[in-house]
Amino acid sequence: MRRTVATKVEPDAETAGRPLPDDRLKEILYFLKLARYFDERMEALYRQGRLPGAIYSGRGQEGTHVGVAYALEAEDSLFPTHRDLTAQLTKGLELKRVMAQFWGRIDGYLRGRDGNSHIGDWYGHRTYAVMSHLPIAYPVACGAALAYQRAGSGHVALAICGDGATSNGRWHEALNISAVFRLPVVWVVNNNQFAYSTPNAKEFAVPTIAERGAAYGIPGVRVDGTDVLEVYGVAREAVERARRGDGPTLIEAVSLRWRGHAGHDPAKYVPRELLEHYMLSKDPVKNFERYLKDQGVVTDEDVANIQARVDREFDEGHEYALASPFPEPGDVTKGWWVEDGYWVGEPGRAGGTEAS
Amino acid sequence: MATQQVEAGAAGHGAEPRGKRGEDGQATYLIAIAEALWEEMERDERVFMLGEDIGVYGGAFKVTEGFIERFGPERVMDTPIAEETIVGMSVGAAMEGLRPVAEFQYADFMSSGFDEITTVLSRYHYRAGVPLPVVLRGPSGGGVRASSFHSINPEPWYAYAGGIKIMCPAFPSDAKGLLKSAIRDDNPSMFLEHKWIYRRIKEQVSEDPEFLVPIGAADVKREGSDVSIITYGAMVHKALEAAEALAQRGISAEIVDLRTVYPLDEETILRSIEKTSRALVLYESYRFLGIGTEVAAVIAEKAFEHLDAPVVRLAPPNVPVPFSPPLEDAFLPQIADIEAAVDRLAGW
Ligand SMILES: Cc1ncc(C[n+]2csc(CCOP(=O)(O)OP(=O)(O)O)c2C)c(N)n1
Ligand SMILES: [Mg+2]
Repeated sequence: MRRTVATKVEPDAETAGRPLPDDRLKEILYFLKLARYFDERMEALYRQGRLPGAIYSGRGQEGTHVGVAYALEAEDSLFPTHRDLTAQLTKGLELKRVMAQFWGRIDGYLRGRDGNSHIGDWYGHRTYAVMSHLPIAYPVACGAALAYQRAGSGHVALAICGDGATSNGRWHEALNISAVFRLPVVWVVNNNQFAYSTPNAKEFAVPTIAERGAAYGIPGVRVDGTDVLEVYGVAREAVERARRGDGPTLIEAVSLRWRGHAGHDPAKYVPRELLEHYMLSKDPVKNFERYLKDQGVVTDEDVANIQARVDREFDEGHEYALASPFPEPGDVTKGWWVEDGYWVGEPGRAGGTEAS
Repeated sequence: MATQQVEAGAAGHGAEPRGKRGEDGQATYLIAIAEALWEEMERDERVFMLGEDIGVYGGAFKVTEGFIERFGPERVMDTPIAEETIVGMSVGAAMEGLRPVAEFQYADFMSSGFDEITTVLSRYHYRAGVPLPVVLRGPSGGGVRASSFHSINPEPWYAYAGGIKIMCPAFPSDAKGLLKSAIRDDNPSMFLEHKWIYRRIKEQVSEDPEFLVPIGAADVKREGSDVSIITYGAMVHKALEAAEALAQRGISAEIVDLRTVYPLDEETILRSIEKTSRALVLYESYRFLGIGTEVAAVIAEKAFEHLDAPVVRLAPPNVPVPFSPPLEDAFLPQIADIEAAVDRLAGW
């Protein structure tokens, strides 16, 4: 596979041969562990019937999600899907407000109007509020990128979708237009090898998604999505390329969806050996932790501290979510028009619980 | 919601198998729909199915579980996520004599094939005289905490396009008989399966392979004399519950289940109004320009002299179906709302 973009950030003397300074590497480990722990705990709550709605696990794909989101600056925007909550957390969404959304509470980012990972925080963390239809955010990312280009702001839009979503017409329209206008956008495909029950081979007939870049005249790169630093390196390069005005890049990050499509799905269609191989040798969280230990960047104690922080944040988030009130039912029609002011004012809170 | 509390994870789609008929011959709505598909696939080998995850996985709601084993991957086609082409390919296959039945994982995603539906499927026969026996089917409707993109009632969008018969059955027997009719019909049809009903409602369902329910015929599900409730889909079940409560208070409600929302069975609607002189139009699509808007207009236009009260509509506001339970409950018409509306009408 032809690589047209360098895959590693150049190490320098200050970082002792590693691609990033130690504190940033530790931060990456924190996001990986946060994602994994959140995913596991939420699934347990779902199974116990203590979580309403649906869950879409991103387990096994943390390297992709953390890697690409970490490559963005605060002013860059992110256009994710249902699968990409980890990317939104890495972009800075507050865990407790994410959890309030899962429980349909007013303090969730969308004030109870949507649930689970169909979340976003446009004015705060520059993330687009996920909509289900696939890949409906791709064309929208073109528009944000167009605005950055017009303004000469140097900002970049980065959109993620799954392998399956690349079969949809608007995916191709968006790539083509972005190439024609040389938009500052990065296209990420989280290839977790399955679209619900459908394997790659039944979704497309090309060997890789990355090589489709050639059809639009843009570089396409395939990376190991379980290696967070490799993903970060490629994404960072693509973001900088877009920022320079050199146009879009397509990144295919390959991993495996460890869990079912959603909480209800036992995913019996995923070959056992494939799953075992990924869980045993391609665990993005464990592998990165081991790398940092081998490099002497973290000690066992550091790792334990990170884990303790993640545990605590989850428990606090859970408590916060359950203490947050439901939206006021009478507000159901508000927010349809700008003029009603619902989204710029304080929302109504139904009686009962008080937010902490 | 008084009918049944929906628990966690009830967004609808399930890991559970579709299940079987009970010993007593009762079938759920889900099973009845699967039987209709199975029987028509057996009867006519031109019939085939296409859609996302319908083969090996058996569909997001397990409607087509076991079909690929019986009919093979040529007739139970797992497709890429490509709704425009799923519809367009169905049209082309129908032009060449096949009878496609396309499944949408949720009726919400029909909008991803909007152009092929509203431009091609709806208009082709009128312009060029080529029949298109295509069935588009998918789970619609709310009340299961599945929020904006998994709860839509899209029937008005496609009714407005014209040229497509649209069915929204409320009972297993109607679902089975109507789907079989739709597959045999030479016109395009859209068959909307209310996901709230799938596993909740069961009844005795005919096993006769020639059991059909006519498209375009409404059905009186409960006789009454004071007020007509004209409705369809999951709202039929709420109306039936409300009617029970109203009967306790001496108010007799008649329930007209439209079954097919386009074309409308005006005759059955008007006959009921002649009897009761009062109309509550209850529907789950949006209030503004929803299916009930047309029903109300028909009544106002054609039954004016029989009316003792203005026609009342009860339907959700024109905003996306919200997730948070108190918001969704406020969004959907509830049994108490139905009773209150009927009380108002009965007061005239
Ligand atoms: C247009 C459209 N059709 C169907 C669906 C239903 N659906 C939700 S997720 C999914 C599979 C997506 O697979 P992929 O793009 O690989 O993303 P993943 O879930 O694996 O991250 C499908 C078919 C949808 N969301 N949008
Ligand atoms: Mg996938």
